[in-house]
Amino acid sequence: MTNAVETRGLRRTYALDRRAKTGRSEVVALHQLDLEVAEGSVHGLLGPNGAGKTTLCKILATVLLPTEGEVRVFGRDVRTQTRKVRRDIGIVFGGERGLYTRLTARQNLHYWCALYGLRRPAVRARTEQLLERVGLVDRADEKVEGFSRGMKQRLHLARGLAGDPRLLLLDEPTTGMDPVSARDFRSMVDELRREGKTILLTTHDMDEAETVCDVVTLIDGGRVLAAGDPRSIGALVSRHERVEFDFVGPVAETVRDLLDLPGVVGCTSVSPGRHRVETADDDATKAALSLLVDRGATALTTSRPRLEEVYLKLIGDRGMAVR
Amino acid sequence: MALRYSLRVVRYSAQNAVADFAATYTWKSWLFGWLGRMLSQVVFFTLAGRLLGSPSLHRERFVGNSVMTCVVEAMMVVASSAWERRAGTLPLLVSSPAGLFEVFFGRSLQWVVSGTATSFVALLALGPFFGVHWAPAAVPVVVVVLLVTSLGSYCFGLFLSVLVLQATQLRNIVSNVSYLAMMTFCGVQVPVGYWPAPIGWVAECIPITHGLRAMNALAAGGRADMVGQQVLEAALCGVFWVLVAAAAFRLLAERGRRDGSIEYSA
Repeated sequence: MTNAVETRGLRRTYALDRRAKTGRSEVVALHQLDLEVAEGSVHGLLGPNGAGKTTLCKILATVLLPTEGEVRVFGRDVRTQTRKVRRDIGIVFGGERGLYTRLTARQNLHYWCALYGLRRPAVRARTEQLLERVGLVDRADEKVEGFSRGMKQRLHLARGLAGDPRLLLLDEPTTGMDPVSARDFRSMVDELRREGKTILLTTHDMDEAETVCDVVTLIDGGRVLAAGDPRSIGALVSRHERVEFDFVGPVAETVRDLLDLPGVVGCTSVSPGRHRVETADDDATKAALSLLVDRGATALTTSRPRLEEVYLKLIGDRGMAVR
Repeated sequence: MALRYSLRVVRYSAQNAVADFAATYTWKSWLFGWLGRMLSQVVFFTLAGRLLGSPSLHRERFVGNSVMTCVVEAMMVVASSAWERRAGTLPLLVSSPAGLFEVFFGRSLQWVVSGTATSFVALLALGPFFGVHWAPAAVPVVVVVLLVTSLGSYCFGLFLSVLVLQATQLRNIVSNVSYLAMMTFCGVQVPVGYWPAPIGWVAECIPITHGLRAMNALAAGGRADMVGQQVLEAALCGVFWVLVAAAAFRLLAERGRRDGSIEYSA
């Protein structure tokens, strides 16, 4: 499989305002970043505010130049083959901006289709196709300023698809969307993946990343911290399966018995009355479950470490701070 | 091929401009709001000129202020170009295959059409009250002079809009100061010769200076070649500014890519 995106030693710095008197002349947004996004995949980019996600998207969108390093989109250099790269990419923001709100949805799409080189009959046909796709046919002639957040986001997606791009950059596309709209949006992303589009998704939503992404990359401070399948990336935290349970009354004896079982590697309390057993294999999990049922434990669940845990472990809890 | 594509981008951007204009004005608000306001401005400056200045300049002052209305409106390109940045569409435009200049050239053309109509109504409807009468054969020429003046001023405004795209908070200041400067130095209120020579040289680079001379010559029943020469000079000024604006838009995009000044966020 070829790569839709490839960065090698990508570095981007921003000059700092001298008046800020920080003692630094520049800030490093991306630090020797190496990244590969396979063609046809949905690749999640996760990281806290200031991690470098948007800087990377800006470079791929050709609105920002790399300071150093190499960036290729479908093998084309973003620095020297800018026009060709632009024909292959579509951008979708989250939020209110990026649309002509005094125009109708249809007028917005006509315009963007024309900017991507379509002629009049193709502009009309593609606009109708996109409106159909995002479910806005019935509202196509209403001004965008009257649209709900979810409708605007669908229009954003349609606009991003105006040029039939091979690579779609989705920058926090479900920000501020209600759960139903967000779910619909994710199913549209899934459809696009089935059509063979490559999608680079930046998000803060771990569930979203786990649901739609084939691969996730965690970045912070402009560096890649980890990358992998979101369903198996939990191995970075623990390779063990977990059994969680609620227990009323003294639990010490049950914990001792659990630890005596072969393949049980640990037992900890995760909150008052709730405990977690870690097991090395399926047999150990079965044995632990059987013992816990016998002892009257309730609310039993089995799981593996989730992406959110990996994120918190690697990024750390920094509260509201931005680097 | 590339030229066709560029023209298509301009055309669709202009359609976007028309839709934007239709969303801003109804025919009533344009007629009784905008047009009424601009006609009042023409009457005010002409009467003020009559009270303060020489009666011999009376006709020129009326013609000057009438033509100025199309320039005022054309200069609204400065503010409306900045709307793209505020709407968050600028990075999307930069990253599209379309050229930024073509997009912005078409994107505010509504002001040229509306401005030409405003000036035309002012010249024809108010003219007789100030002793300016138009022969039927001169009417099409009036439209041509207004279109060239308005379009040339629009190109000058496009250049200024590149500066304002980097400091959007200045959009109304730049727009207002620039047309007030044109009113002052380009022959609208007083002849260009009134000012020191260096100011006059600068005024020669501004389309309205020549558009006004052409319109004044036409109003005075001047020779066709004299009118034609001034229209040509106004058009050349417009071409100069359109080339400068095209280069400035290219620099804007390149600079934005280098320094990261093109915002990209929700």
